[in-house]
Amino acid sequence: MQVKQLEKDGVTVFEIDGEVNLSTSPELKKQFEKSAPKKLVVDLQKVQYIDSSGLATLVEILKKTRAQGGQLGLAGLSDKVRSLFEITKLDKLFVITKSREDALSKIK
Amino acid sequence: MKPDSGKGLKVQTFEFPSRLSEVYEASAQALAFLRPLGLAEGELFDIRLCLEEAVINAMKYGNELDERRKVKIRIEPREQELCIEVTDEGRGFDPEHVADCTQDEGVLKGCGRGIFLMKQLMDEVRYNRRGNAVSMLKRFKAKSEDTRGQDAG
Repeated sequence: MQVKQLEKDGVTVFEIDGEVNLSTSPELKKQFEKSAPKKLVVDLQKVQYIDSSGLATLVEILKKTRAQGGQLGLAGLSDKVRSLFEITKLDKLFVITKSREDALSKIK
Repeated sequence: MKPDSGKGLKVQTFEFPSRLSEVYEASAQALAFLRPLGLAEGELFDIRLCLEEAVINAMKYGNELDERRKVKIRIEPREQELCIEVTDEGRGFDPEHVADCTQDEGVLKGCGRGIFLMKQLMDEVRYNRRGNAVSMLKRFKAKSEDTRGQDAG
């Protein structure tokens, strides 16, 4: 898994490429903790697989973002990845959009 | 029309030490074994996810990451379904006492989310009486229901 960090109009974007699972999610958490952005969009367009550890890590990032009065958006989820958020009711917690641009405009 | 059913594939068992880095080797071997069945991409996603969640639980909570203790995987392809059993050497647990990760604070806490996903993505999930073995059943879909993996070439 690779995490590319970008800044766009005052919002941090994490562009993730690869799988978010038990083995890789600590790296995502570490990347978040390095900068602890207040406004964050996680672009999952290049993520084809996520497990419960990956979901838990995104929830943890969401909680930390909220705790500092910030916002987190998820963008570009594949149908299968999105279905996991729906099954676990996590789609009610996150701002989930089809494109990164939609997420940026919601988070700004 | 069904995928190639379980015909030709015999029961396969795998055994791994309780080391988390082995989880992906376990699922890679299992999926390679299942390849001749020609399952759709969506089905393979579900099978991989549930197998990995079960193996992680077995290694972490069942065998407490004691590498001397093994996790056994048994895969039985049947005519129209697949049975996967994951067994650890731990004391077992009571699956009835796992909190619902979709209710109230459970959504944020996420306890038992892996087990919840297994129950949702598989057609049947059962534990033995001791609670150290989980048996998961996945019924094959008709091809038209999910053909992404097979028709992609």
